Amino acid sequence: MRPAPERPADRLRDAWREVGVVLRQDPERPAPARVAGTAALVSGASRAALFLREKGRWSEAATFGDPAGWTMPDPCPAENGVQDGRLWIRLEAEGELHGLLGLEGVPAEEAADIAAILGALLGPALGAHRFSRLVKEADFEVRTRVLELESLYDLGLSLAGQLDLPALADEVLFRSISLTDARKGSLVLLAEDGSALLSRHIGGELVSPREAPRWNLPEGEAVVNNAAADEPTAGQRLSACEKCLAVAISVPGRRLGVLAVADKESRDAGVLDFTPTDARLLSLFANQAAAAIETARLHRAAIEKERIERELELAAAIQREILPRALPDVPGVELAAANVPTRQVGGDYYDLFPLSEGRLGFLVADVSGKGVPAALLVSTVHSAVHLQIDEAKTVAELVARIDRHLRRFAATRKFLTLFFGLLEPDSGKFRYVSAGHNPALIVRADGGLERLESTGVPVGMLPNASWREESVTLGHGDLLCVYTDGVTEAVNEGDEEFGLDRLSSLVSREAAQPVAQTCDAVLSAVSDFARGMPQYDDQTLLLARRV
Amino acid sequence: MSDACKVTAERRGDVAVLWTDGYINNQGGEEIAREAYSQLESGARALVMNLEKTRIVNSIGISILIEVLERVMDRKGVLAFCGLTPTIDKTFRIMGLAQYATIYRTQEEALQAVSPRV
Repeated sequence: MRPAPERPADRLRDAWREVGVVLRQDPERPAPARVAGTAALVSGASRAALFLREKGRWSEAATFGDPAGWTMPDPCPAENGVQDGRLWIRLEAEGELHGLLGLEGVPAEEAADIAAILGALLGPALGAHRFSRLVKEADFEVRTRVLELESLYDLGLSLAGQLDLPALADEVLFRSISLTDARKGSLVLLAEDGSALLSRHIGGELVSPREAPRWNLPEGEAVVNNAAADEPTAGQRLSACEKCLAVAISVPGRRLGVLAVADKESRDAGVLDFTPTDARLLSLFANQAAAAIETARLHRAAIEKERIERELELAAAIQREILPRALPDVPGVELAAANVPTRQVGGDYYDLFPLSEGRLGFLVADVSGKGVPAALLVSTVHSAVHLQIDEAKTVAELVARIDRHLRRFAATRKFLTLFFGLLEPDSGKFRYVSAGHNPALIVRADGGLERLESTGVPVGMLPNASWREESVTLGHGDLLCVYTDGVTEAVNEGDEEFGLDRLSSLVSREAAQPVAQTCDAVLSAVSDFARGMPQYDDQTLLLARRV
Repeated sequence: MSDACKVTAERRGDVAVLWTDGYINNQGGEEIAREAYSQLESGARALVMNLEKTRIVNSIGISILIEVLERVMDRKGVLAFCGLTPTIDKTFRIMGLAQYATIYRTQEEALQAVSPRV
């Protein structure tokens, strides 16, 4: 502040100008500093201090000159006057005391006049300033409440259409932090198994995703912890904050997540207590978030279900295209085959290949996995067999060629069990390779039962694998039964498998029937055994009798 | 968006452009005010605040922005905001900031609008 003018008229003019600025509320120089400065200017005091009463408590608001050593008289002087060498002036307006002005270096004989002039000049100015500030604060408060209500409304609208979980989490966390004036906040969403699914943090990790499932929070009600930092909140000790507000995000019967904010800011960079309004606001946000998260989850589940349905339809279509539409008519052989796909569409495949000199090739394969990947591998196997069957000189060579073809062209690294047999109807010689497949059965015409065990590892499983080719002779009336594990591993409600023994007995018992009838009998028996229990593997059966 | 608000500025004649990155709370608001007052002291007549990297503002941050606005108005200057998220845009309108400061969609629009006025 510049030195006081010599002429009283100039001092008075400058004082009024300063008072005008106080009333106008100059943001560059706070009103208390102007009041203290004006008082010194008008009175010629060497030092001045202004004490203000805020919410019943006095505090030093501004000084002029050397700021050291000012203390508020206790009790507050009831009248203007000199105490301990300082002139104390009550600044009042409309009968209310707003401030106390202290001046040093004022001539004692002028003290009463100066007190009267400054009291009359600065009291109303300070009162008007404080009233104006209160109006502004009230206006800000009202606008803040409007903002809270609008935010709740907007959040409801916004979340209703928000199916993107990360965006939804951001929206909830940002608004929660913003409207509670929190310095930091965390939102952790939980998966259906209770583990952390997604987390968002502002200002640090307030809620650890690892610990979020263990937070002990009541349903639908925010928990306030305005205590010291080491007091546990909802069972968890938080070292990263001073005060905390946390709420569970949940729907009836299920916890969806935890929302927490911490350290409500004040204008002076301190930390305030969270209020009941903050707690109510956070609880409302959590309720809205819960509804939106559940909607998003159901939407995702519906999309996933639709995707799986489409995939299954595609896989089923591929499989339908590959399986033979009709069985070949081969002299000397009676054939029957069936494939019962499960809802999940596995990778079963069978085929029959009429070859030169009346020979007949039999193939039954079971690809690992399900759905489109399995169906595509079946398609690759189908191509490989048709491409290689005329090139291979032996059954073992054919299987090795299929293996190489798959390694080269298959899109996925999966393997398959496979049974390939080659029958010469005239001689009854039957050469075969079983690549890790279930044992095929031969029911002899005299009732004897033989099992054709595996002669090597599944195709596609090991590099440089080879397969042993075996041969048996099928006599007239002998029945060959090749199947996939969907038949023997069909389960009933007691989780019991149909089993190889039951299949062997059944095929033996039905062997005298026409093969189509035997085939139906086996499938019916498996179905009766399962009693409607859903099955997870295709059932494929190929029967051939040398006649 | 980073957690602690960072403020950068660039002077274009009488206009200062301030970019914020982070939460405008007490700390963020003070950073903005410090930079804004520094620009005003060095002669800037208009401030354009680009908030495209800010997604959260609290009431403390808003009260500081109001103080900055009052100081700009006291100097007969201009304050403009741009790059606001829809939520912050609505917040500024409700809290009264938009009564005396203008909100533009892009920085280009804001610069074009404030330049002839200063």
